[in-house]
This record gives sequence, C-alpha cells and structure tokens, in this order.
Amino acid sequence: MTAHASHNLPVEPNRFIGRARDVSELSELVRQERVITLSGVGGIGKTRLALRVAARALPRFAGGVWLVELARVGSPALVVHELAEVLGVREESPGRLLDGLRVRLRDADALIVLDNCEHLVEHCAELVSELIAECPGVRFLLTSREPLRIRGELIWRVPPLELPDEQHPDAESVLLFVERSLAAGVRGVTERMDDVVRLCRALDGLPLALELAAARTSLLSPGSIADRLGDRFTLLTTGDRTAPGRQRTLLATMEWSHDLLTPKERVLLRRLSVFAGLFDLALAERVCADGGILRGAEVLDLLGGLVDKSLVLHQGGSGRYRLLETIRQYAADRLAEAGEVARLRDRHLLVVCEEMERCHEGGSPARRMPWPARFAHVTRGRGLLDDCRAAIDWAVRSRAPALGLRLARAALAILAVRGDLGESVGWHERLLALDVSGVPADLLAVAKGALAYGLELGDELERARELIVQGVEEQRRHPYTPWLGITYGVALTVFFRTGQSGRALRYLAELEAAATAHDDPFNLATARIARLNLALFQGQLRQARRHGEEALALAGEVDHHWARARALTHLGAVAEAAGELDAAMAHHREALPLLEGMDNRVELARCHAQAGRVAAALGDHAAASSHVATALELSRQAGQRRGIVRALMALAALGRARGDLEGAVLACAAAGALRESIGQYGTPGRVRELLAPARDRLGESRVAVLWAKGAEWSPEEAARRVLDGDGSDVSVLSGPGGGPGDAAGTAAGGTKAPGAGAELGALTAREREVAALLTRGLSNRAIAEELVISPATVARHIANIMVKLGFEARSQIAVWAAEHGTDAARP
Amino acid sequence: MDERIVMVDSGTGLRLTEEQLDERSAVATVQLRRRGVRAGDTVLICLPVGPDLLVSTNAVIAAGGVVWPLPVDLDAATLRDRIQESDARVMISNVRRALEAAEESRVRIIMSVADLSAAHSYPTSR
Repeated sequence: MTAHASHNLPVEPNRFIGRARDVSELSELVRQERVITLSGVGGIGKTRLALRVAARALPRFAGGVWLVELARVGSPALVVHELAEVLGVREESPGRLLDGLRVRLRDADALIVLDNCEHLVEHCAELVSELIAECPGVRFLLTSREPLRIRGELIWRVPPLELPDEQHPDAESVLLFVERSLAAGVRGVTERMDDVVRLCRALDGLPLALELAAARTSLLSPGSIADRLGDRFTLLTTGDRTAPGRQRTLLATMEWSHDLLTPKERVLLRRLSVFAGLFDLALAERVCADGGILRGAEVLDLLGGLVDKSLVLHQGGSGRYRLLETIRQYAADRLAEAGEVARLRDRHLLVVCEEMERCHEGGSPARRMPWPARFAHVTRGRGLLDDCRAAIDWAVRSRAPALGLRLARAALAILAVRGDLGESVGWHERLLALDVSGVPADLLAVAKGALAYGLELGDELERARELIVQGVEEQRRHPYTPWLGITYGVALTVFFRTGQSGRALRYLAELEAAATAHDDPFNLATARIARLNLALFQGQLRQARRHGEEALALAGEVDHHWARARALTHLGAVAEAAGELDAAMAHHREALPLLEGMDNRVELARCHAQAGRVAAALGDHAAASSHVATALELSRQAGQRRGIVRALMALAALGRARGDLEGAVLACAAAGALRESIGQYGTPGRVRELLAPARDRLGESRVAVLWAKGAEWSPEEAARRVLDGDGSDVSVLSGPGGGPGDAAGTAAGGTKAPGAGAELGALTAREREVAALLTRGLSNRAIAEELVISPATVARHIANIMVKLGFEARSQIAVWAAEHGTDAARP
Repeated sequence: MDERIVMVDSGTGLRLTEEQLDERSAVATVQLRRRGVRAGDTVLICLPVGPDLLVSTNAVIAAGGVVWPLPVDLDAATLRDRIQESDARVMISNVRRALEAAEESRVRIIMSVADLSAAHSYPTSR
C-alpha cells in the first residue's frame, strides 16, 4: 500500500506558551465531539491553539489530521476545493467534488481542522453538517470568529492568556511577552516586572498584541509601550468604536505598531496583503515595487524589517513569507484606504500570469529537455496555484478575460501532469462567460480546447464536442503552436468516444501532418496513441504495438514522463490483449514510478488496476493482490469512484484466477452497483465474460444470490472477501470494524451497545454496591441511607459508573447490573 | 422507585419526582464531565429558580465541582463582574443577559439546559 503522510500540520514557528489545561482538555474533546469551534476575536490565538491541539491528537486519528486554511479562500464554492486539495481528492467530473470527499472520508478516522471560517460561515456549516452526517469517523476542529451554529457543534470560547496578579506574577501573558522579547534578542525586560505586568494588563492578555509589543522592546521599554498604548486606547482612530473591548485593544495595538513603521515599510505591508498565502522575495518585488515609492532592491530590507516587527512571518526552510490572517486583513484595509486595491490586484494578476507562463514555457512539452529540469518548472508552477486562484478571481471581478485566460492556459499544463482538471474547468467557464470580444481569437480557441479537455475527462461529451470543433477550427487559421496539437488530441478522444470515427480520422491525419511539419514529437506521440487505440479496437495487435513503440520513442525524445507513461500503459494493454502477459507486466511496472513521481494519482490507480489484472492472469496472486489493494486505496483517497470500479473489476479477475468464482461475482456486483450510482449503465464485456462461466459452475440461482449480496457491499468489504481469501459465509460478514470510538453510542442501531464488553471489575467495590442497590429501584436518598453516606456522594458514584460503562442514562445501570449479577459480587 | 414528589415548579405547576431528579442529575453530571469539569472547578449557574436549577446544582456537586450561582435578575454590569471574578471555565445558563455578560470572560463552554439532558444525538449514517 502506498504510504501517504498522515498530516499536513506546519512546524510551529516559535515556542507555544501557556494554555496547558486547555490543550489537554481539547485533545480529549476532539475525540468525543464531532465538531468543535474555537471562537473568539482575531489575534486571540485560535489558530495556534487549534494547531497545538491537532498535533497532540495525531496519534489518535489513524486517518490523519488535516489542516485546511480558509483565510485565502475568497469564494464559498472553493471551500470544497480547498478541502479536496488537502486530502488529495481529485475531481471526478465537474461539480462532483463533494461526492469524491464522501468516498474519501466515509470510512476514515480523521480530524479536519478548518482554520479561519468566519468569512464563509454559512458554507462551512453546510459542508460540515453534510460530512459529519455521512462520515461517522470524521471529526472537525474549526477556528472562527463566529460559530457555525449547527447541530452537534461545541462552541469553545478561546479566552485571552491569563493576566498576572499578586499571587501569580508569572501568568501566561507575562511568560509570552518575556519569551518573545528574549527571542528578539532583548535583555533586561524582566528588570522592570511591574511595567511588564502593567503592559500585559493593558493588552488584555491578547497573544497577538503581546507579540507585536514584544517585537518593539529593542527600541522601547515595556513601560513606555504601556504609556503610549494607554493613550491610544482612549483615542482610537480607526474601526468601530462600539466593537468589543478585546477587538479594540488589538486594533489599537496593530495601529500603534503600524504607525511606528517607516513610510516605505507601511507601503510594502499593505501591498503584501494581495498575496493568497506564502510568497517569496522575487514575487514580492515584482508585485509590490513600483519603481517610484518602492524600488525592487529595497524590498528585501523592508521585508526583513517587517519580520523583525512580527508583522510578517518568515516560513523557516522554504525561504517564503506569509502574513498572519489578522494582520493581512488590517493591511488589506490600509490598501483600500490608500486607493491601491485595483492597481495592486491588476499587478498581481499580471505578475502571476507571467510567472505561470514562464513555468509553462520552461517545461513546455514542445522542448527537448531532461525530465528533472522540466519537472522543476512544474513544481514551481504548483507553488503558485494559490495565487493563481486569487488572480483568476480578480480577472473575473475586474472583467479582464484576456489575462485570466492566459493564466488559465499556462496553468493547464501544470494541472494536467497531475491529472486534475476540475478546477481548470471552473476557471475557464467563469472567464468565458465574460465579454470576450476583445480577447485574441487564438487565445480564445485554446481556451475552448482547454475547457473541452476538462469536460471530456468528466464525461461531458456533448458540451466538449461543440467546444472542441470551435477550438480546432479557429487555431488552424493561426500559426502552429503545441496548443493546437493538444486541442487535436482532445478532439480525437471526443470523436472516438462519441462514435464519429470518420471525423476523428480526418483530424488525426491533420494532427500528424502538423506535428511532423513543426517538429512537435510530444503531440506526434499523442497521434500515435490514437492510432494504437484504433488498431487495438479493430484487433490489429501488431500494428497497435508498432504505433505504441513509436509513441514511446517520441516521448523519450522529449523526455516527458507524462507522455512516456501514457505510451507504456497503452503498450501494456496491447500486450495483454495479445496474451503476452510478461511484456504487459513489464510495461506497467515501468509506468508506475513515472506516474508516482508526477503525483498523478488517477492514472497511477488505473495502472495498478491493470497491473493487478495482468499479474492475476500470470498466476502471481501475491503481486496481483498488492496491485489491486493499492489501486483501491489510491482511488478511495482520491475520491474516484470510476477508479474504484476499475479496481473492483481487477479484483474480480483476481478472484477468478484463483478459482474463487463466488468472490469474483461478488466483486463484479459491487462494481456494478457503484457504476450505476455514477450514472453508468449497461454491462461491460468483462462482466459478461465472467458471469457466463460462473453460471455454468455455480448455477443460475446461486449467481443471482451472490450478485444481489455483492451489490450491497462496500468496495472495502468486497476487497476483504477476495484479497483475504475469506471464504466464510457471505451472510455473516459484518460491516467495517473499528467504529468511530465511544461517543456516538447508544442510539445508533447496529453499533455495539455501550458497556456491552464492560467487566464488573471496572467498578470499585463501592460502585458495585451502588449498582446493586439500583437494581432494587432505590432513589439516591434511599441508597444514601442504606450505605450511610450522603446523597451527593451517591450521585458522584453513579456518575462514575456511567462514565466507566459509557452509559448515558442512570436507568441503564440497573439493567446492566441485573444482567451481570452484581449481587454475587457484593462484599 | 417511589413516586415521591420533591419539587413543584411554582410557575408551571409541573412536579418533579425523586426518580426524575436522580435520573436527570446523573445524566447532567456525565455531560459536565464530558465537557471537562473536574473536581474543584467552579461552574457558573444562571437559571431561574426551579427544577433545572436544582438538577444543575446537584450535577455540579456530583461532578466534584463548586457551584457559583448567579441570580438571573442581576444587572448586566454586576453579572459581568461576577463572571469575571469566578474565573469559571464552564457556565450553565439559558439566560440571554448572562450569555452576553460572558462574552469577554474566561468562560470556555456555555451549556444550556438541553445540553445537560441530551444524550448526544449526533447525526449518524449507519
């Protein structure tokens, strides 16, 4: 099975101070509660607390702990995308991402941290309600200024850090301030503890305010900071005067810290607010410098100054920077105040577009270059995706379709390598809905081809066909670019799939001529693959192999792993059809590491399924099991039901190869049910091939029974049945084990009754006595009299018994005690 | 169990039997524990006089906590001061003014009367 990281939590940027009891209590609560929302004003430390709790909870979530940062997510619809991105779920067809998430999380025992939900509360509420209803093992930990107010949500109000008093001069707030001052290289802040105490009180114990103040102690003593802030709290100039006290304290502190900046630092800070997340120096220079007020060469020093003042964070190893969300919002307000939003956003769009184009050009499939060099450009492009989303949003809002489409075009290649075009479909749809009369015709044509590409992958063939014709015809009127080759490639697939082979053949000939004339081996390889498919379909296996070998050679010429993997998997299919199983296996084995390296999980899963089928036919059951299990797991993690169907079909082939026809029918039935659930009807040839011998050997009625049972099984159950060779009777197989812990308990039918396995020995002698008396129907008062203790003590014993046995009602104790014969255990 | 009446709600006339009191208190205690109430913890209770107040008080004591009652008719400023002073982590209340007064306090969790009784009814799929 492929090992995936079980969390994506960042390394803590500095020492976490205080809140020991809160952390340990919340670490317990995240197991018990389905949804916990840490609420409170900005700067109170919700995110740090959530990350701390999440890290602590890691060992308790086998399905991983996943941080989803929502601050950068502008539009509600993208919440699902962000979550899918973090979990590695790939869009199966446009708009069906939520289905993928359900598949991924249905049996996962995972903690999902949604950070900064406040601007998307309604949407988060919907998404979270939906997922907790369908995924019993998933828990949510949220940070939000506003709670979601959904059923089952525990709202946990994050307090400020403890303030010092006479008994506790070393309260959490003091410790934080002193720690951060020391970290900033300042000595001697502790010499005037009374001033430190005064400052911490003035700052209400707000962690962010304390950080900002501590960052200034190299120039100002705690006493003078407290004095200056005191003046400000009375004369707050920005924001809502009626806002709650903590919010005003924080605002005043940010304002104070901001006003201490040099004018140029202020300009840079507000301009940095346009970045979606992490950014590097080069990007900051290009977006923020204007050659006038701010010159590019100054940015490095200014950025360093902002880091020293704790307004910008320097993200350790990556060398990249980011703004805390509360600061980013303050900076964005300053940007709006300065009237620079449109100019900076325009600039951000242009720079991100140019950067992405550079990444695309650098790794362009049209160029012959070694794969590692090419892949470096892809990696850099992936790092720009957050900013790409923000920039495309702006392109839509500011009605700039030309730049937006250029950016979407450049990003397409980056996304395609990973096999995930769902997002690209959304971008193109939104941009093409604008007034595109000013967009160059060739760019528009590529965009239509790109949209068709995504739609075809999502099986929307009708829409894809219309667009692809326009895409090809318009591009033919312009000088050749590799985009035309790619558009042709999509057209071939669309036309073959819709049964228009005449049209497909004509386009195929055109593609071959154009790609040859313009020396484009990458797209020529695409044409050869199309020839291979055609020959394979017509049963001309030798020709199919020849086309595949040519495609492989062409892909090797440009050294493009995506094209090589494609050629190899197709050659594998041809070899399998020809009965050359060893050759087929060798092709798949060669493709696997290429797909893995590109993180193209959809194709990787498909390749594992094919390899599993071939290994089964070869009689290598161990290898087959491992490939099939991996295919299933990868598809489940990527939320790809079509991938799961393929894995189940490979599973059926394995069952059959082992002589386990019953298992094969069950797997086939599970695949069939899943196929229907995604709107694919009809019986594929492979299913018929299996059912015929099964009916002969097992009899018609037995097959019908197995089919009905298998259709109700989850893919995991079918896999367990076939992979583990578990021949036990079908009907006794239970649902997936390892339920979501103790919490949900009583009401849920079918899950184990709480306390069922509890032993008498879990109770103390006194508790057993109380339990025994309860079977006689006594009240607390009567039990108290009997045992000569106070009613309050009886109540405490009863609560203890309930907690130990997992009961939620006092009356359950009597029933349990009667069944377990506590009387006998009485001393 | 005997049907002894232990309280009559003067507003509604509803009667609370000893069995009901014991049962509801036991459930409430478990809910308090689950939310992290430990021995020695202060728990604020701001509820009108009646069965809910009695149940809550019993439950806090049974959980090992210290009851810190707040009369419902206190003015906002006094409520705020008392809440601050208590340094409580948990408050039991359905009273709007008390919830508002807890806004800038150190109270982490506010439990309603319903939270004390409900056996957790999470939406479950299976």
